[in-house]
Amino acid sequence: MTLARVEDRRLVTGRGRFVADLVEPGCLEAAFVRPRVAHADLAGLDVTVARSMPGVHAVLTADDLGGVDDVPALFGGDDLPPWRPLVVDRVRHAGEPVACVVADDRHRAEDAAGAVVPDLRELPGRPDAATALAADAPLYDGHRDVVLDQELGEPVAEATWADAAVVVETDLRQQLLAPTSLEARAILVRPEPGGLTVWCSHQYPHALRDGLAAALGLDTGAVRVVVPDVGGAFGGKSPTFPEYVVVAVAAQRLRRPVRWVEDRTEALWAATRGRGQAQRLRMAADAEGRITAIDLHVDAAIGAHPVGAGIPVQTGLAASGAYAVPEVHARIRAVLTTTAPTFAYRGAGRPEAAYAVERGVDLLARRLGLDAVELRRRNLVRDFPHDTPTGRRYDSGDYAAALDRALELLEPDTWRAEQARRRDEGGRPLGVGVACYVERSGGEPGILEEYAVVEARGDGGFVAGVGTSSTGQSHETVFPALVAGVLGVAPDRVRLVEGDTAAVPEGHGSFASRSLQMGGAALHGAAGALVVAARERAAADWGVDVAHVGWDGGTLRSGERETSVAALAPLCAEHRFSSPPAFPYGVYGAVVEIDPELGSVDVLRLVAVDDYGTVVDHGVVHGQTLGSLTQGLGQALYEDVPLDADGVPRLEQGLLDYLLPTAAEIPPLRLDETAVPAPDNPLGAKGAGEAGCIGVPPAVVNAVADALDGVPGADPSLLAMPLTPATVWNALWGGAR
Amino acid sequence: MRIGFTLDGRDVAVDVEPRRTLADVLRDDLGQTGVHLGCEHGVCGTCTVLVDGEPVRACLQLTAQVARRHVRTVAGLEGPDGALDPLQEAFSTERGLQCGFCTPGFLMLLRGALDEDPTVVDDPARLDALLASNLCRCTGYEGIRNAARRARDS
Repeated sequence: MTLARVEDRRLVTGRGRFVADLVEPGCLEAAFVRPRVAHADLAGLDVTVARSMPGVHAVLTADDLGGVDDVPALFGGDDLPPWRPLVVDRVRHAGEPVACVVADDRHRAEDAAGAVVPDLRELPGRPDAATALAADAPLYDGHRDVVLDQELGEPVAEATWADAAVVVETDLRQQLLAPTSLEARAILVRPEPGGLTVWCSHQYPHALRDGLAAALGLDTGAVRVVVPDVGGAFGGKSPTFPEYVVVAVAAQRLRRPVRWVEDRTEALWAATRGRGQAQRLRMAADAEGRITAIDLHVDAAIGAHPVGAGIPVQTGLAASGAYAVPEVHARIRAVLTTTAPTFAYRGAGRPEAAYAVERGVDLLARRLGLDAVELRRRNLVRDFPHDTPTGRRYDSGDYAAALDRALELLEPDTWRAEQARRRDEGGRPLGVGVACYVERSGGEPGILEEYAVVEARGDGGFVAGVGTSSTGQSHETVFPALVAGVLGVAPDRVRLVEGDTAAVPEGHGSFASRSLQMGGAALHGAAGALVVAARERAAADWGVDVAHVGWDGGTLRSGERETSVAALAPLCAEHRFSSPPAFPYGVYGAVVEIDPELGSVDVLRLVAVDDYGTVVDHGVVHGQTLGSLTQGLGQALYEDVPLDADGVPRLEQGLLDYLLPTAAEIPPLRLDETAVPAPDNPLGAKGAGEAGCIGVPPAVVNAVADALDGVPGADPSLLAMPLTPATVWNALWGGAR
Repeated sequence: MRIGFTLDGRDVAVDVEPRRTLADVLRDDLGQTGVHLGCEHGVCGTCTVLVDGEPVRACLQLTAQVARRHVRTVAGLEGPDGALDPLQEAFSTERGLQCGFCTPGFLMLLRGALDEDPTVVDDPARLDALLASNLCRCTGYEGIRNAARRARDS
């Protein structure tokens, strides 16, 4: 089933309403002062000129925020350094805001921001975990640089390594990625008597409500967060950012609405990034190709504020991959660095794990002289539920079926024959790569629940409210249809209410591929509860047993008696759904060709077979696959936030320096799905948002490594993402350059 | 300075600082918030509008550059009766959008290109080269490509 999208009419006519489009009388615009140094003492801050400039209403600095609490931590570790909304005395990442100018318009705000003069005394930076671990003083006095050091699973026994037929060991790098939703961050705050109304481009409005209330010392009920149209998020729009706290303070103090719309330069310099891990992987197998042990050590560069310190733990939890491996151990460290915070980006910890494990499987296969696909097949999990040594319970699946289907689409035998021909007769190096993945959708304890309410109205319509929050995933189309299906009414009789904390009292937003699996299941439950409530009401009115009251598309009947549910309005039913997470999985394959003179990689075919459980709307799910695999191609081949020795991003030319895939970079695709229902929710749904980001990078890199295998003198160990022409050329010629 | 031009078929005149871009004036002075800003340095194409029929990045045009010229935005795609342009219909039918933020830019890019030479969509390489002018972060471009072909056929 693919439904016509309810959202589209306003979006294709330019009538969408994003935060920057909202018309709020008297609204002022904010701009932040962001020094381009990674690490420096802030010895002084001269705002006198800026304050006197035309159209400027306020210039806020840390001195003005005495009564404001710290920025709320999403990550709940102990001994965490404080996160002040504006820099107090030391800049710890490039672009960290030291002041905020509020003016009549953005031009005047930027003019004045340029006139703020910070007195900066530069300090040595620590751009990555290794540099940070070697630093002689902590980044925050009195606080540890290692904010998280967690082991998952038991350490692998020495005998296991000693007894293995083969042990491989490799260092891998997960570069920093800029999530780059085309609409960057944006917020508009209107002060109200005793509170605030907030419009924000956000994934988690209820957490933003709570976060702003905490920072400003307000009651939760005094803050209303409304999420209008959102121009993509991809993980980068869940926190209560320091800029949001500052804008709210400005609105309160000035008694005027204040808006901040982040521009692209700010987003590339100062917004959160994803990935950013240094990994050491060790894997062992016996002579038959059975994987006996995986040990994964991750040092995550978590940035100057540990808001995302929990994310690399996902990498450790996922360290078993799709395989039944008796001994798996991970050690995860999150280390403070002088870079913008590392946080969730589509996949959020699972791509990092899949990349390590799948690169390792290929290395094992080469050492054993086994076909890499065959080695995978011998180790796939086959019985469910399956408990992994690092603490996951895989819920369901037929991993081997997904592998079979992927091979049908990939046709590796054909390509292997062509590869052999080229190796004999000459031709561009060609390679075939495969990657299996298992990921987790729905979230972690604390958010493995969702709230929904369905109300019958007197006009014959229904209002469905849910605590998720769309950032482009077609909720207005899919959710009403889902509710209508339970009620047995036409979808256009159901209207969705979402992304408004005044209309829906609780919720956990949209991330971790949780919207349908958790929110959809909650709506399903609430709609069913409404039918029960209506039957009970009619039974009481009529004085009959509820068992004798039937529901048929909004009409209640018992014998000769009949009434419409609209006649019982107002009538509503809530449902709180909770469940364990689900585990989508799949198999990706890539065929690549390398230009030996340029080092460029041409992907000749990309295969994806994903299992998202039971699919509600194929159009939405197909779109999620396409979008996530495009972002996966970005990580594999193009995207990187390069840093200088101190941690300052080298992105002077903005998006000309940060290469995103365009239509011209999409290879020929062969996509399919399998559908093993998730056992833990009534829809059978597993999350579908992040698969391509997880499966594509290892499949493509394995294919490029395979291509290099046949080239005398080439050194595949020199490959690291992104596989730029320079990187591939260097590996092709064995590090000759 | 006072600048006059035609916006979606009607004459407009604005008093603007010389530094202000067409994108800012369209959005802030003329209320055309369908013109979205994705990067403000000419890379993403989200702010694409037609100037005398040619797709341009509104963020890279000073308003003075469009004096006495014809500017067309996404708001000018609908017919007077509110009927959607075939491209707008096709984007919806083919799932050429998810969040919808890049959509006005792609619509104007394609409207200009199809008006200039409808055969551009017949050759996959030409179409991809055209679409590569703009960025979409949601769809992977398949729906946009298919929408372009569908619109040419309708």
